[in-house]
Amino acid sequence: MSIVPKETIEVIAQSIGITNLSPEAALMLAPDVEYRVREIMQEAIKCMRHSKRTTLTASDVDGALNLRNLEPIYGFGSGGPIRFRKAIGHRDLFYTDDREVDFKDVIEAPLPKAPLDTEIVCHWLAIEGVQPAIPENAPLEVIRAPAENQIYQQKDGPLIDIRLPVKHVLSKELQLYFQKIAELTLSKSNPSLFKEALVSLASDSGLHPLVPYFTNFIADEVSRGLNDFLLLFNLMHVVRSLLQNPHIHIEPYLHQLMPSVVTCLVSRKLGNRFADNHWDLRDFTANLVALICKRFGNTYITLQSRLTKTLVNALLDPKKALTQHYGAIQGLAALGHNVVRLLVLSNLEPYLSLLEPELDAEKQKNQMKSYEAWRVYGAILRAAGLCIHDRLKIFPTLPSPSPSFPSKGKGKVISTEPNKRKLGVDSSENRSPHKRLIATDGSDGGPSPMQVDRPTGDANPPQNSVRPSSSEQASDGNAPESRNAKEKDDSKGRAITRKAILDQIWKDDLDSGRLLVKLHQLYGDRILPFIPSTEMSLFL
Amino acid sequence: MDPEQVDEFVMGYLKKKGFNNAAKQLQEALHHNNGGTFNSTDYHNDPELTKLIRSFSQSENDPTRYRDGYSKLRSWAYNSLDLYKHELLRVMYPVFIHCYMDLVGKGHTREARAFFNSFRKDHEMIHLRDLQKLEGVLVPSHLEEMEFARSLRQSKVNIKICQYSYDLLLQYLHRTESTLMLGIINEHINFQVYSGQPNSSSDDIDAVTIVGSFQETADHINQKEIQWGLLEDSLEDRLEKTGSLLSDSEKGQGESKDGDVDDSKKRSNEIGKQGSSLKKLKKDKAGNATAKVARQETSIVSPAPRVKPELALPVMSTDVEESILEDLRNRVQLSSVAMPSVSFYTFVNTHNGLNCASISHDGSLVAGGFSDSSIKVWDMAKIGQAGSGALQGESDTNDQNVGPNGRRNYTLLLGHSGPVYSATFSPPGDFVLSSSADTTIRLWSTQLNANLVCYKGHNYPVWDVQFSPFGHYFASCSHDRTARIWSMDRVQPLRIMAGHLSDVDCVQWHPNCNYIATGSSDKTVRLWDVQTGECVRIFIGHRSMVLSLAMSPDGRYMASGDEDGTIMMWDLSTARCITPLMGHNSCVWSLSYSGEGSLLASGSADCTVKLWDVTSSTKLTKAEEKNGNSNRLRSLRTFPTKSTPVHALRFSRRNLLFAAGALSKPAS
Repeated sequence: MSIVPKETIEVIAQSIGITNLSPEAALMLAPDVEYRVREIMQEAIKCMRHSKRTTLTASDVDGALNLRNLEPIYGFGSGGPIRFRKAIGHRDLFYTDDREVDFKDVIEAPLPKAPLDTEIVCHWLAIEGVQPAIPENAPLEVIRAPAENQIYQQKDGPLIDIRLPVKHVLSKELQLYFQKIAELTLSKSNPSLFKEALVSLASDSGLHPLVPYFTNFIADEVSRGLNDFLLLFNLMHVVRSLLQNPHIHIEPYLHQLMPSVVTCLVSRKLGNRFADNHWDLRDFTANLVALICKRFGNTYITLQSRLTKTLVNALLDPKKALTQHYGAIQGLAALGHNVVRLLVLSNLEPYLSLLEPELDAEKQKNQMKSYEAWRVYGAILRAAGLCIHDRLKIFPTLPSPSPSFPSKGKGKVISTEPNKRKLGVDSSENRSPHKRLIATDGSDGGPSPMQVDRPTGDANPPQNSVRPSSSEQASDGNAPESRNAKEKDDSKGRAITRKAILDQIWKDDLDSGRLLVKLHQLYGDRILPFIPSTEMSLFL
Repeated sequence: MDPEQVDEFVMGYLKKKGFNNAAKQLQEALHHNNGGTFNSTDYHNDPELTKLIRSFSQSENDPTRYRDGYSKLRSWAYNSLDLYKHELLRVMYPVFIHCYMDLVGKGHTREARAFFNSFRKDHEMIHLRDLQKLEGVLVPSHLEEMEFARSLRQSKVNIKICQYSYDLLLQYLHRTESTLMLGIINEHINFQVYSGQPNSSSDDIDAVTIVGSFQETADHINQKEIQWGLLEDSLEDRLEKTGSLLSDSEKGQGESKDGDVDDSKKRSNEIGKQGSSLKKLKKDKAGNATAKVARQETSIVSPAPRVKPELALPVMSTDVEESILEDLRNRVQLSSVAMPSVSFYTFVNTHNGLNCASISHDGSLVAGGFSDSSIKVWDMAKIGQAGSGALQGESDTNDQNVGPNGRRNYTLLLGHSGPVYSATFSPPGDFVLSSSADTTIRLWSTQLNANLVCYKGHNYPVWDVQFSPFGHYFASCSHDRTARIWSMDRVQPLRIMAGHLSDVDCVQWHPNCNYIATGSSDKTVRLWDVQTGECVRIFIGHRSMVLSLAMSPDGRYMASGDEDGTIMMWDLSTARCITPLMGHNSCVWSLSYSGEGSLLASGSADCTVKLWDVTSSTKLTKAEEKNGNSNRLRSLRTFPTKSTPVHALRFSRRNLLFAAGALSKPAS
């Protein structure tokens, strides 16, 4: 009936020294106790409301007891959280841990730090109905035009003109923040803290006044610290975070930021130690560049064209180092397939001929050089491959060749995705042997060194077997491998039925067809993993 | 039916009703007849009668009958036609609580609790707070003790219901012979039957609210006449008048001067002030500068009627008057397209101790009342200077503000012996009043930084105190369920307003000083005549305790905010709610009208300041009433703060909005 069980009453009675409480009395008391407790809580809630709070505290209950002319309950007013402990062996029984304290300990304990005194800070919550994006305000969903500076004006009407050229005043907090971030970026010793700093950079509102300082800082440090690989990486992370922050209005500072970023992409030398993995940095920066172009390409039309021009120049200059070429290729690749098709593929032939001697292990004695060359080769292969893959995906989906194939084909399309990823990241030591492996035997008979090759290996034989018949080009020595007669017949039959459709497609996409042919000429089989098998079958 | 059974029933019935003699006689008669035949004549053949007798003889105390009756009625109401359903469901709540109280009253505590718990879900949405109160009632004596329960028992609930719904209900009750439910309904519900179609469900809020015994008295009280107009010869008025006069007739300058002289004569007669020539001079100046502004104002604001002050109002010094006029001239016109700027004062390091905050009329002084009995007053103008100095480097420019114990840039006022619940600045900012849990109100001077007077009168914590718009007088309200009017020069209250059924939580002056409004935990707002001390309006509609009040500058409307975050706009003359403004989801601590009454700002515990367009709500009401448009929300802007509940708001005379709150760490 009552939520206070009579056992509780009995326990309370015992605790205050009443031993002969009859059970009936306890039973009668229980509902009344509940009523009184509720009454006190109701008054306590009133006290809480008048203290303008939404959480009930022990002092509110004391206030309520006062209202009823009762003595407050002592010992809970400290404001600290009361720790309840579970009684062992009982599920719902709790007690407060009330230890005895030795006076000596209390007296000898050092005085606690004095609490900070109450203060008032003033800021603009809104200026003519618009909330300025300052740290004092809650972060906004969308950036409105940020007020250039905050004038802490006490009285009178709204600011008449906030866009007046005024001295840029940074609050102390912002200055500290900037210093801290700069230190973290430079120190490189505390990666976890740096990570948190990046998160803060990417999410905090009110950092806007610091943006010019950050761009300056980045530009300075990049030009100074080209030998310091980690620093550069950190700086690029900072740029990325700044770009990600939705509250920052970074556009006006892009022109300052871009040179440093591009430097990190196509500089001859990044970092001075052999162990420094500057390839990663270039990859990362390439993505960054792409991100910038994507976000601001619409407002700055010249941005992308200028960027690609720089990159293509870097790529086509034979005097430039291979590392620079690599960066340029990655940058272009990240900008999208159209850029690759227009700029890279058109220059592919001359460039590959340029690269040829470097690739040859016999001719190129310098181990390092040949490694770099393979790296560049891999990058350009990946770029071209992705481009053609994308290109081929535009084809209208055609009736699937045979009931057995579509499933296989689908599997292929999906499996090529991880392939690309892997290929891009894998070091060329891994790649070149397997490339050779494919080039030499091309069949799925040989065990593939990597698990990624498995699906492509499966796909290869039928494609190989029909290519000569469908395309006019001479096979580059990859003799059609007859796997079994049945399959061959199958594919031939398919080739005939497809003929009509193919002609049409050929006309439509002669371009891509030629492209593919060209790529194949240049790369041989290595391009094949990029080509989805369903599309591949079209060329049969 | 077996005649012996019938006899038994009759016996039981008589005994239960205490007709012992009759019972004895019957018994004797039965003995005589020995199961005789003479009384077995009629009711064998009358099933109606037997049933009735059976229902009577069934022990009336049987607690399950309440449950059965209620659940049957409930399922019937829920299955009724959609059109009439909401009206019928409205009946359920009073029946529910009275069933519960009947059960408690008869001592069936266990059954009462079970009954309560099984049906409370139905009513939780609307009546949560009442239910929480009632839940604790478990013993008959509680019913007597608890005011809320007692008033419920004694009063009848008014329910508006359309003719057809009423017929349906009666039919049902008669058909099923649920006499118990019928009894409860007859006893506690007063149906106001009207012909025609049932109202739409959400329309009639006061139909749902169960108030104490004063529904009728409220209706009666609300018939009284009130003069909600502004004071004649107020400063705004004069500004307007001089402005329009000058602009209207440059030629008739002499005339206007005459008018002014008349004006000031009247004024000086009324309040006994001499030396109006100075004032006149100033007024002329004022008029020239603001002719344009004033004209705009007059075109926008429909003129409010003017009334005479019932209190002898204090005389304003010319300096103060001049500064006010200056402010009024420089007022920014606000509307739904021209938003105000909001300056926010954040209290930091309050350690959860800030109970109230108050901002002076010009925004330069901020007072905070703390739970450690202290009051701290900041002079923001000084802090601004000192702050900028400190930012450049280590400077000691704020030495003059430093108190006896070190660097402190506020004035500490100590005197209370309990948490300070409210503080208010006099209009010129030279005095502060504070109210505390120690039942006193104290008057402090901001110039002397000292306590001047201690007003003792309330018997319980004083929740709120407010200076009148002209100073000198102030109103306070307390846990002792009264509101009191005081003047600064007397330590005894001038008037005591008694009538609220629970704590009076907030108080606010009408701009013409003739009325005060009080908000209470009994969920009503009342308007009191200051001169007579009578209640002249009762505003019923809130569903939880009223925490904040604001009066529109033209004196026509009032806004009140409650614990749930609902803000209600009331028309003072009709005592009707114009529109509820929903949007906040926690306590509305503070409300403030902009200078010309076009915007309402509300500050809430949900850490937002909201701006509401109240001009449109007052204009559109009529049109809305016609077509029953439901789109009444006119929230213009929401300014979220950084985890700072908004304790105080004030529009300065120039229409800059000041807000204050204590930074609190977000939960978790």
